Amino acid sequence: MEQLLDYAWLVALLPLAAAAIISAFGKLMPLKGSEVGIVAVFIAWLISIGITWHTFSNPGVVLERAFDWSPLGGGLTLELGMLVDGLTAMMFLLVTTVSLMVQLYSREYMHGEERFTYFFAMLSLFTFSMLLLVIANNTLQAIVGWELVGLCSFLLIGFYWHDKPNQDAANKAFMVTKFADVGLVVGVIILSAGVAATGIEKPFNIGTTMELSMNGTLSNGTIAFGALMIFLGAVGKSGQMPLHVWLPDAMAGPTPVSALIHAATMVTAGVFLVARLYPVYIQVAAVMHTVAIVGVITLFFAGFLALVQDDIKKVLAYSTVSQLGYMMAALGVGGYTAGIFHLFTHGFFKALLFLGSGSLIHAVHSNNMSEMGGMRKFMPITFVTFIIGSLALAGFPLTAGFFSKDEVLVAGELWAANGFVTGNLVLWLGLAGAFVTTFYMARSCFLIFWGEHRGAHHAHAEEHDVVPHGDDAHDEHHTDEHVTVGHHATPHESGWQITVPLVVLAAGALLVGLPGSFLWPADANNFESWTATHALEEASYPFISAPEDDHPASEAVGGAGVLAAPALAAEPGEHGDGGVHVLHGPPGFEPLLAGIAFAVFLAAAGLAWSIYGKGQPDDDPMFRMGPVTKALVAKYGLDTFGYRYIVVPVRDKLSPAASWSSNVVIDGIVRSAGGAAKRLADATYGTLDQKIIDGGVNGAAFSAAWWSDKLKRIQSGDVQRYAGALVAGVIVLVLVFAGAR
Amino acid sequence: MSPQEIVFYLIAIATGLSAIATVTSRNLVHAALFLAATLAGIAGVFLVLHADFVALVQLLVYVGAIAILFLFGLMLTRAPIGREALDSQNRGLGAAISLVLFGVLVTLIVEAFGNQPAFPVDGVGVAEIGLALFSRWVFPFEVASMLLLAGLIGAILLSRRESGESGDETPITRIQMSELGPGDDRGELVSTKRDDA
Amino acid sequence: MSEGIHFIGPLILAAFLFCVGIYGIIARRNAVLVLMSVELMLNAVNINLVAFNNLRFADSPTVDGQIFALFIIAIAAAEVGVGLAIVLNMFRNRASVNVDDVDLMRW
Repeated sequence: MEQLLDYAWLVALLPLAAAAIISAFGKLMPLKGSEVGIVAVFIAWLISIGITWHTFSNPGVVLERAFDWSPLGGGLTLELGMLVDGLTAMMFLLVTTVSLMVQLYSREYMHGEERFTYFFAMLSLFTFSMLLLVIANNTLQAIVGWELVGLCSFLLIGFYWHDKPNQDAANKAFMVTKFADVGLVVGVIILSAGVAATGIEKPFNIGTTMELSMNGTLSNGTIAFGALMIFLGAVGKSGQMPLHVWLPDAMAGPTPVSALIHAATMVTAGVFLVARLYPVYIQVAAVMHTVAIVGVITLFFAGFLALVQDDIKKVLAYSTVSQLGYMMAALGVGGYTAGIFHLFTHGFFKALLFLGSGSLIHAVHSNNMSEMGGMRKFMPITFVTFIIGSLALAGFPLTAGFFSKDEVLVAGELWAANGFVTGNLVLWLGLAGAFVTTFYMARSCFLIFWGEHRGAHHAHAEEHDVVPHGDDAHDEHHTDEHVTVGHHATPHESGWQITVPLVVLAAGALLVGLPGSFLWPADANNFESWTATHALEEASYPFISAPEDDHPASEAVGGAGVLAAPALAAEPGEHGDGGVHVLHGPPGFEPLLAGIAFAVFLAAAGLAWSIYGKGQPDDDPMFRMGPVTKALVAKYGLDTFGYRYIVVPVRDKLSPAASWSSNVVIDGIVRSAGGAAKRLADATYGTLDQKIIDGGVNGAAFSAAWWSDKLKRIQSGDVQRYAGALVAGVIVLVLVFAGAR
Repeated sequence: MSPQEIVFYLIAIATGLSAIATVTSRNLVHAALFLAATLAGIAGVFLVLHADFVALVQLLVYVGAIAILFLFGLMLTRAPIGREALDSQNRGLGAAISLVLFGVLVTLIVEAFGNQPAFPVDGVGVAEIGLALFSRWVFPFEVASMLLLAGLIGAILLSRRESGESGDETPITRIQMSELGPGDDRGELVSTKRDDA
Repeated sequence: MSEGIHFIGPLILAAFLFCVGIYGIIARRNAVLVLMSVELMLNAVNINLVAFNNLRFADSPTVDGQIFALFIIAIAAAEVGVGLAIVLNMFRNRASVNVDDVDLMRW
């Protein structure tokens, strides 16, 4: 099994090969290329399971291999390589599982689509890109993978590009993330410059960067600046506020895309990168606080936006933004394991929710919850799996989401015990956010699955809002399969290619939380030991002085006093290093916190039932909250702000100015240079060539002719003159000879 | 001044004037006759120089034959009897050159031989000339005779008419005086076929 | 006889005749007159030769000068004959003995 780690690169390359084959030959194949994609990802999935098994059983194992390339012949070496450890294995498992499920699902969901083959090629390409990012052992390769996933996201969001709103959504996603990527590149440059200044040849290597950050070689300023800039990239990619604005619009893409990219994998790339570079982030307090605050703002405010949505995908989109906020906030308060644990579990249940919503949309041909209702009678499997997913998202006890969300809150509490207020923010706002999450998920479930089915009341093409309906193309597609009126009133369960992924992911939503839970044997390898990178095992925060030994950090000021269980405190033996350790150790059971969380759940679910239990009320209280409603519907005005103060000035002022400088100034310079050259050439020709040189040549001929014309008259034909000349010559000779004597 | 000198000067002056008249005379026949006079004067100079045989040969050949030959030539080339037009436009050039040459030559002669005293001369007899001619100078003598032969043949060859044109078919050349009065001495060359009588 | 003439007398006469002959060659228009001028030049040379013959006579008797003069006379006779034949030809071909008209070999 150990040799399997050497083949980790296969996991990334198989989807790439599949993408190439599908692009070239997909249309000729019997299943239109989908078989190639599924087989490739399946094999990659198997390898990922093997790697997972090995890294889980042998915590701390790390394998790094790379091809080196020195373009300048020494002094700077670039790498193309892989870094395989537990974190890598976790991401592998997540990405390949979700990708496999999504590809199988897409076979039915995108059936009959004209660009079916293209879709599968893009899915495989995306899978490769994400895995390239995950496997990277140096930041440059990470950037390459990062940008590639951004590209694939753009292409897939704009899959139905025949409608302008879908193009706009794709553009928006691309531009916002690209704006944030400036930060990523700048941060990578700063960090690598700092590393290169010490004379190391491979400045982009992640391991080297982490080492130098931890032993103090890199200055705090470099670390802070670089880390914050990279965090800016993560803010864009992972949809933190205020750069989350592209995620809801990205729902214009097909639902499988939303499940794969905008729930489980691509949007987690930012969180993953921060986690990967965690030893860098923990060095400076300001960085940690920034991360935490951004995450807290995101998790709290995004949730409210889901309350006023009618489109089920929009609800899930805002939910994703909020959960990403949880992950980032966890990382910001020292909850490394909590953050990536939540990433892991969220991937499963959010993908499940999206695929389930896809199944619903596929059945009723509309995204809007107002056109659903009573679906539990028609689509039992979808119903059960969707409920499981919602419970996981809401943090119902013993689901995966419960364990991971609990960890986040605990992390906040422990951080608060070190005296930082951000920990308290995470704890209390996290609980409040959990309330909102439960409420809107319950609202959605009740609106969809309970009550009367509302689909028959609405005409096929009626829409409630102007948000892009990417699936409408999908709708028109099936018109010929369904008789229009009347037949829509009875939606039916989807085929096995849709329901099997739902079931698998539902199983995941229930089970994948166990390795990180308190139910897992405490002395066995667990999630934390699996994903703790080598560098973090002994790491501690340099900006926190060690507390005294007789006050375990568990009894902290401002905490809920919950954490009496010693298992969660840093082991006393490790305090000797002089710092609070990053890793928290195996999680313990805290009844008080769990109880509070469950109470929150019940309260929210009960409130939702009271409003929506009978189906859609005539006046939804969400829309009667006055200015709050207005703010929420306007999405806090961020889109308007962005449009008015960023898009319009750039489009109307900056772009014309740039094109002016290019067309008028630069082209003018070029043209005038060309004109000057032409004038010089003309002058050279006219003066130098025609007048001087030709004049010289012609003049030589002319003077020869002129002289000959004058001199020819000597030959007059007059013999007597010849005689006279002869005698004159004789006289001269006589004089010469006489003079000589 | 001895009598020889006086005689010499007289003859020299006459010769010189005749020579000048030869080259400047407007009348061609006068020019020929003045040439004959010049040649005769030169013969006199030879006599003064005690070159009897040469003087006589000069008279015989030059005056007696060559001058007449010139007259024949003038006749055959229908030289107009009377005045002819002005000399060619090269007169200035010719005068200048000859004057310059004369000056140069006289200067040189005077410089070279000016102090040469006069010397009496006894003269050379014909016998010595004959002896020298056929002993020492026999080769050039023979060549000269060859030359005369060649000249003879050449003159005949050059002046004969083209073949097949002799006899009745040759056109007669007649000289016809111009009707335009004195001052215009040009004659017309008229070529007519001879009638067969 | 007692005294002879100045030695340079004949020489100057000869030079004079020579120059007159040159003038005639250059200045005369009729071809026959040009030939006459040539004869003048030849005679001037003859005078020269005979005069120089006398120069050497005083030392040792010689007739070389006079022999030369004789030869020149003979050659001049032949030359005049041929020359007039040429002039006659020229007259026949061009109906003119004006040397100015014989300028075909001009530029």
